[in-house]
Amino acid sequence: MTCDEVRDLAAGFVLGALRPEEVRAVRDHLETCPEAHAEIAELGGVVPYLAEAVEPVEPPAGLKARILAAAAADLEMRTADAVVAAAAVADAEPAPAPERAPVVRFPEPIERAVRERARRATPTAWLVRIAAAAAIVALAGWNVLLQGQLSDARSYEDGVAAVLEVASRPGSQAAILADPDGDGPRGIAAVAADGSVVLAMRDLPATSGTEIYEAWVIGGDGVPVPIGGFAVGGDGTAVFTADATTAGHGVTLALTRERAPGATTPTLPIVSAGVATSPAG
Amino acid sequence: MSDPVGTVPGRVVSAADAADRAVLDRIAAGELGALEELYDRYRTIAYSIAYRITTDAALAEDVLQDAFLGAWRNAARYVEGRGSVKTWLLSIVHHRAIDAVRRRRPTTELPEREDAPPPALTLPDVWAEVAGNLDRDAVRAALATLSDVQREAIELAYFSGLTQVEIADRTATPLGTVKSRMRLGLLALRRELTGIGEGTS
Repeated sequence: MTCDEVRDLAAGFVLGALRPEEVRAVRDHLETCPEAHAEIAELGGVVPYLAEAVEPVEPPAGLKARILAAAAADLEMRTADAVVAAAAVADAEPAPAPERAPVVRFPEPIERAVRERARRATPTAWLVRIAAAAAIVALAGWNVLLQGQLSDARSYEDGVAAVLEVASRPGSQAAILADPDGDGPRGIAAVAADGSVVLAMRDLPATSGTEIYEAWVIGGDGVPVPIGGFAVGGDGTAVFTADATTAGHGVTLALTRERAPGATTPTLPIVSAGVATSPAG
Repeated sequence: MSDPVGTVPGRVVSAADAADRAVLDRIAAGELGALEELYDRYRTIAYSIAYRITTDAALAEDVLQDAFLGAWRNAARYVEGRGSVKTWLLSIVHHRAIDAVRRRRPTTELPEREDAPPPALTLPDVWAEVAGNLDRDAVRAALATLSDVQREAIELAYFSGLTQVEIADRTATPLGTVKSRMRLGLLALRRELTGIGEGTS
């Protein structure tokens, strides 16, 4: 394309009124042409201001929540991508073999489901789970945002980011917690090499009075060990951390609802549970 | 350049745009609250453009979501000295809206799908100076000074997403005439809005 041809198409170019191949030809020319082609800026400078002439129309009130939810989901996918990349590195390091499947003193169907998931866990499955977790989290972000509780979404998002960060460290394990009966409370947890636990949950029914959710670690001996509890407000989300626990490889993490803090045996039913697996587990 | 103001591109920055750039930096860092601020500031004009182009409320919503998500992902690619953040954002909205209406017209060639907005035009600094003073009345008054056929050609391109060939078809006008209407119309607008003469072209 010659300079004269570009000048001929300049108005159409700045107004976006050219066919795709013409746009490409003009762009290619402008990138390599030693001439300044001032006409492009001269004509194009005015174009953005055409937008000012439109009749103002207010967008619907719900659109902001939709957009922020989409952005939150995007952010979480980016975080998950980073974790997958980190996990791929961690994968290269040898990890101890997983201990035998724990004997869990919980109702039979749950135990079976939990063990089944543990058995199927391969490095690939672990990565898929992280991706799935990101999807769950994205949906969680949606729900919370649609209720207009952006601050809650942020704290939950921060919790998930913290979990993913821990999960990406060498020697860490990750678990997806789900309601054994279906789509109730769910979340994501990470167990660091030193046994500390980070947990982010959503869709938990609010606690009242002295009620709390107690988190349990169930190791190879099948005995649930309480690692701490937390209350939940109306938004249904919680971010919980516990320092060095006895959690080893392949532990089950579970939540129960207790009348008061200090329970030493879990009160059934299990609200949400999942098995921690490492990249090499 | 015919730009009579001898400043470095990007040097003339209005207070509003300086604030917008700070918001864009926070968006680039992944701060959702900053996106919320940008949305609150420009939601009305952005939606108005999308609605004017698509004439469809649901489609306009999709365009806005698409555009703000584009801004969210590409904030780091905004280049200073190529127009204000507002101009950048609205050009994304415009681009996505035109994309949407062209997609709805099966006979039109689809533009290339781009994640990034179209390459920013290097705007002379004079635009940064006048931008602060441009409101709807000023732009409408400037548009009113155009001849009907010039205004029609510009509006069919900018708001209806027609190519110049399609405009020639639709208005039963030779292509060369459409081109010169668009060019003369834009120059007249520039003259009205900035008080600057026709320049060198």
